[in-house]
Amino acid sequence: MQLKNVIDSPCALRFMLDRLELQSGFARRCLLDMEMLTDASGIGDSYDVLHHFVGFLATTDPVRVSTLLFKLQALKDISTTIKNLEHNATLEDIELFEVKHLAILTVDVKGLLHEQGMDRVVEVPDLNEVIAILDPDGLKIATFYIYDSYCQQLRDLRAKMRQHPELNDQLLLEASEIELEVRADLSKKLQPFAPAIRQALLALAHIDIYLAKAVQMKQMGLCFPVISSDGNSRYEGMFHPQVKDALESRGRRFQPVDISYGLKPTLITGANMGGKTVVLKTLTLCQYLFQFGFGIPARSASIDVKSHIFFCIGDEQSVEKGLSSFAAEMKNIDAVIKASRKERKILALVDEPARTTNPTEGAALVAALLQVLAAADMSLILTTHYDIEPGDARCLRVKGFDNGVMNYSLVEVHDGEVPQEALNIAQALDIDSEWIALARDIVNSNR
Amino acid sequence: MRKIVSRFFTSRCSFLSDSILPFINEILNYSSLSIVGLEKNTGKTECLKYVLKRMPVDSRRIAVTSIGIDGETVDQVTRTQKPEIVLPQGMFFATSEAHYRQRRLVSELVDVSDENTSLGRVVTAKALTSGKVLLSGPPSATGLIRWMSQMRRIGIDLTIVDGALSRLSSASPAVSQSMILATGAAYSANVNTLVQKTAYVVQLINLPLADDSMRSLFGALDKGIWWLDDEGKLNELSSATSLSQHIHFQGMDRCRAIFVAGALVDGFIEKLRANRNLKNVEIVVRDFTRIFVSPQLFRLFIKAGGRISVLQKSKLIAITVNPTSPTGFVLDSGALCEKLSEAVGLPVYDLLKN
Repeated sequence: MQLKNVIDSPCALRFMLDRLELQSGFARRCLLDMEMLTDASGIGDSYDVLHHFVGFLATTDPVRVSTLLFKLQALKDISTTIKNLEHNATLEDIELFEVKHLAILTVDVKGLLHEQGMDRVVEVPDLNEVIAILDPDGLKIATFYIYDSYCQQLRDLRAKMRQHPELNDQLLLEASEIELEVRADLSKKLQPFAPAIRQALLALAHIDIYLAKAVQMKQMGLCFPVISSDGNSRYEGMFHPQVKDALESRGRRFQPVDISYGLKPTLITGANMGGKTVVLKTLTLCQYLFQFGFGIPARSASIDVKSHIFFCIGDEQSVEKGLSSFAAEMKNIDAVIKASRKERKILALVDEPARTTNPTEGAALVAALLQVLAAADMSLILTTHYDIEPGDARCLRVKGFDNGVMNYSLVEVHDGEVPQEALNIAQALDIDSEWIALARDIVNSNR
Repeated sequence: MRKIVSRFFTSRCSFLSDSILPFINEILNYSSLSIVGLEKNTGKTECLKYVLKRMPVDSRRIAVTSIGIDGETVDQVTRTQKPEIVLPQGMFFATSEAHYRQRRLVSELVDVSDENTSLGRVVTAKALTSGKVLLSGPPSATGLIRWMSQMRRIGIDLTIVDGALSRLSSASPAVSQSMILATGAAYSANVNTLVQKTAYVVQLINLPLADDSMRSLFGALDKGIWWLDDEGKLNELSSATSLSQHIHFQGMDRCRAIFVAGALVDGFIEKLRANRNLKNVEIVVRDFTRIFVSPQLFRLFIKAGGRISVLQKSKLIAITVNPTSPTGFVLDSGALCEKLSEAVGLPVYDLLKN
């Protein structure tokens, strides 16, 4: 599972990527191609490196940091050239230029990171020997041609060209034979460095990515998570950056939420507009961010490593597949059940399953789903408006209206009873009073 | 004997090339120049060669490139012979990878862009000997702007763009600070018509800039037609282009200016003229290359009090003429230069004659 496969998840992972200030397009491609980390040690290593970069940003002269960022803008993907080099091909001028350009960039970046030992945190190879091959005059500038210094005969020919421009065509032909030999010779000398050049290319991309992640942590107020080892995940002061931004742009405040879950099902109930969907979105987002090594939008977080993440949000229709919203939803949940029979370490977040069908069958589907998945060794978080028997599930409820103000925090309750607040909320929204009063009468007469 | 004759000619030519026309010095006051031909074979390449030959490459870092399909050995449209550009030693140039490999000079690579064209990426290099090269630079306006800013970044003082004023080219030469216009018998074989047609283009190039607030407001819009009311509020008139038949100007009594992001065509102006309240409105276009309005209609619109302004404009430095048409027809160079100069109020040069 690569980042690019899940980037458009409805949890708004793309929002985080759009706000990542990467310097080069190559680093962005590397990040999108990154495989999701599914082992605790891999995730731990990634956060260790990120820790170093956060420290580096905090303790380094800002001018030095912006020099570093500016340098990284020049990073270009030269993997085709490196592949040619690995296959013993003779590189042409443009390719030799690319290699020299990267080598000089690598030495520059390594120099800027060296003082704090950061060039060992991300291993940056020493490419000075590569520069020496491509810079016979020791000019240390990132330009290239088949220098006169490579061959006296070439120097003589070119001097002649400048004196007798009318003989250019003949002289160029002679020179091109020599240039060809020089290129073959240079390529042969560079060939042993191909692995180091490839390593440098990736190292610079990783440095770009880590710097961007570190900057984002500070900008968005993200935290370093603890890697949980007991199967439980715990968040304090968790928020969704995109929703938070949207609220703040309208002069409102996002209320952070505390939540925890383990390996038995968690049932979230609560009033409409109580933020249940946002909680599921944020949990999904956090899990992905965690497994791709980003900062976590919470005050503190302890997160369990998963190998599969399912986010089933009810209102997606598969028009291309000709499925109704109900059918699409059933298929998605079916995939969770099938996976739960084969795999462990699954996180499934299901938003109001079966909400588009009649309440009798809908409630039955939800209750049965809880039972089926409770048997599996997985984390399930499910929201619903249906009044169902929770069984073994842990029940959380959105506090709801509190003195006319919505309180989004979650409290643990011991039954699955759903709050009946829809009519109060509709009233607060100033919906037609005759309609709401009549509905209230019907509710009361049914009691 | 042959040797003596050829030496005689060489010295004569160099004597001529030493007499520098005044606009050459003016070019150096700007950081970018585009050379624009009104038609194929109006002597644009001659003009470019003339300019390149006289640039102070020892004291300034100067880079040249081309947009469109220039730099081909044979003109794509008329099949007439088109010479390769000869670059002086020390000049920077940008061309595609494919044409870089065919260069006939020694050069040092200084930049490889990310942008891919059908001929490979655009590379920039410095000529270490003089020699011939085919120029095929960035194919789009954004690519050209990116190249120009990359050149500034690596310390180039002046960029020269061989620009096609073709409706097929999406790269507008108006992104450069200054401009030289090449016109000639290929554009029209009748002196009076040639003068009128050229004077009209000059009038478009010299259209005034829209005011600062409109430039920042409209600059961000890349499509559609928009109007600005007298309180400075922006409204969308149509998401279509000005070619659309379904544009209505209702409820625009308080309209201050209309911005047309794409091409401005006759039909749009005619519809506008039919609206009594909008007769003297200001139309804003991105640059003069977006205007495809007939000279007659343009004049009528302006006469009735209408105004047209641009977001981007280049300083027109000079006009050059080529009195020879590709069909072999030759106009009287002296009379042509004089008439044209009178009509546009700018110096006009016949580079071949000079």
